[in-house]
Amino acid sequence: MSALEIIRLEQISKHYGQGDLEVLALHKINLLVNQGEYCAIMGPSGSGKSTAMQILGCLDRPSTGRYYLQRQAVDSLHDDELAYIRNRKLGFVFQQFHLLPQLTAMENVMLPMTYAGLPHKERHERAAYALNQVGLEQRMSYRPNQLSGGQQQRVAIARAIVNQPILLLADEPTGALDSRTSQEIMNIFQSLNDRGMTIIMVTHDFETARLCQRIIWFQDGTIINNALTPEEFREFSRGSSRTAPTAATTHL
Amino acid sequence: MAVYLAENASMAVRTLSANKLRSGLTMLGIIIGNASVIAMIAVGQGAQQFIGKQFQSLGTNILFVLPGIAPEGPLASSIPAESLVLDDAEAMAREVPAIAGVAPEKSDRLRVTWADKDTQVDVTGTNSEYPSVRNAGVAKGRFFSMLELQQHQRVAVLGSETARTLFGDRYPVGAKIRIRNYSFRVIGVMAEKGASMGMNQDEAIFIPISVMASQLTGEDNAYTSPSLQSISVSAKSSENMSAAQFQINNLLRLRHNVKGENDFTVRSQQELLQTADSITGMLVVLMAATSGISLLVGGIGIMNIMLVSVSERTQEIGLRKALGATHKDIQVQFTVEAVILALTGGSIGIAIAVAGTVIFAALTPLEAIVSPVAILLAVGVSGAIGLGFGVLPARNAARLDPIIALRS
Repeated sequence: MSALEIIRLEQISKHYGQGDLEVLALHKINLLVNQGEYCAIMGPSGSGKSTAMQILGCLDRPSTGRYYLQRQAVDSLHDDELAYIRNRKLGFVFQQFHLLPQLTAMENVMLPMTYAGLPHKERHERAAYALNQVGLEQRMSYRPNQLSGGQQQRVAIARAIVNQPILLLADEPTGALDSRTSQEIMNIFQSLNDRGMTIIMVTHDFETARLCQRIIWFQDGTIINNALTPEEFREFSRGSSRTAPTAATTHL
Repeated sequence: MAVYLAENASMAVRTLSANKLRSGLTMLGIIIGNASVIAMIAVGQGAQQFIGKQFQSLGTNILFVLPGIAPEGPLASSIPAESLVLDDAEAMAREVPAIAGVAPEKSDRLRVTWADKDTQVDVTGTNSEYPSVRNAGVAKGRFFSMLELQQHQRVAVLGSETARTLFGDRYPVGAKIRIRNYSFRVIGVMAEKGASMGMNQDEAIFIPISVMASQLTGEDNAYTSPSLQSISVSAKSSENMSAAQFQINNLLRLRHNVKGENDFTVRSQQELLQTADSITGMLVVLMAATSGISLLVGGIGIMNIMLVSVSERTQEIGLRKALGATHKDIQVQFTVEAVILALTGGSIGIAIAVAGTVIFAALTPLEAIVSPVAILLAVGVSGAIGLGFGVLPARNAARLDPIIALRS
């Protein structure tokens, strides 16, 4: 694995509201993720992992601290610059798929390239290639309501990777799927990672997290441990009095 | 840019057709507004043309001389007076060189009977020049002659409508009718002219003015010349109109010994036409403005539904932003949707208006003309309404925070 830096967070804090109503969501987080890493972010509800994902995804800006994406400081960029970063460098997969119902699978996958301003022919070719990668070459002209949940999530993954991002962010990608379909989706993530895609995934499910190389554990707005292997995580959670592994899984 | 807009347009069509009922209801206001604006303009312009043709049928080089002072203003009618007399008409025919013919008119609404038929008709005493001056044809028989006028012969020429009322299908020429208990011989029937300015020109009887004055209105004496309701004058050509008008004016001022304001009015066909034109024009503007309000209401309807649509589609907006849509992308997307709604509604409205005016034209004597200008205007206004009323919802959409939008 190369040691090319993808993400570096330095002293990132995020608070909402003002004065007495101020809520501290993240407190001085540091994180380094290199290219090709496959990370799971875990932690109890309200631990700050969703806020961290939003900041990593350039959907939100930190209150203080620096965020370097591929060594570029992105913490204070303008809205349109962030939109550009999201479009070209990041891919998103959501729990609820978020496909547009009036568009076919192909058109949904083409959407990010529309905003990138690519010519129609190239969009078509790349979307077809991405759908092929997730095994949906037979379903290109189907609409979301004609597809199963697993298939819809595969369309969403194709949409996330179609602009060849440097980082794939997945927020509970298997949260709405049964265990067999979840396995299929995780296989796709694994094969993407095998081909060098850097992936950060928020999950509540230990079985899902177990498939990642690295587990980042959030609690009370900070990172308690940022580089557990699945085996270490098992040890860690057993040893921790505050969070048993069951505590992590019961949030499902 | 064009490709960008085209893509947005096709996306908008997909989105809008995904919810046909709502899109249809949203467009309803614009449809009705556009249909009524175009239909109103079409009917109004048709009416204007119709009136124009009516005046053409009266003759283009006619002047009307009316007694009394005509106040200014398009609708003002002259104050009734008896300042115009038969001698004036005769003097005009003698002394005004630009004039081709003069027809004095003295009318009264009188009871006319034939056999068991009985009707009230405007009986007009005039001279033998009436048909040529007023551009009126004789359909059956003939008009009365100068000689018959001079000899005070009781002959009558019927308007076509009056001939039908009295005689039905029978041939009227040669029959004896009674006007105010005097017996008149029918010698002719006028050709049909139709209604003009609210007056049915076919419901009339024409008799020699000498008979009218001496026997029917009982004004004949050696000292005064009989008073007239009007004198119709035809100029030698339409270029001579203003000369004729000027000369008549001078002659009558001399004859009436007028120092200050005229006690008569000379009106040209042109002026009457302009008056009628300005009245119908005013009506068209009024009607179009009234329907314009429904266009405005339609625009507000679009804004309303677009606002609802934005708040329902926060997830879609958040997703698009996550995928890299900029502020401008979202703004354009929703504005284009509003414009397409408005333009589609506008087009449907135009189609309805065209169909409506075709039916209207078939059912009434008025011609309804859908002018290309009205259509272009309607399309432009619809587009502008979509643009104007789409801006606020689109801005709301563009301002949505992607995080909040994605949270569900």
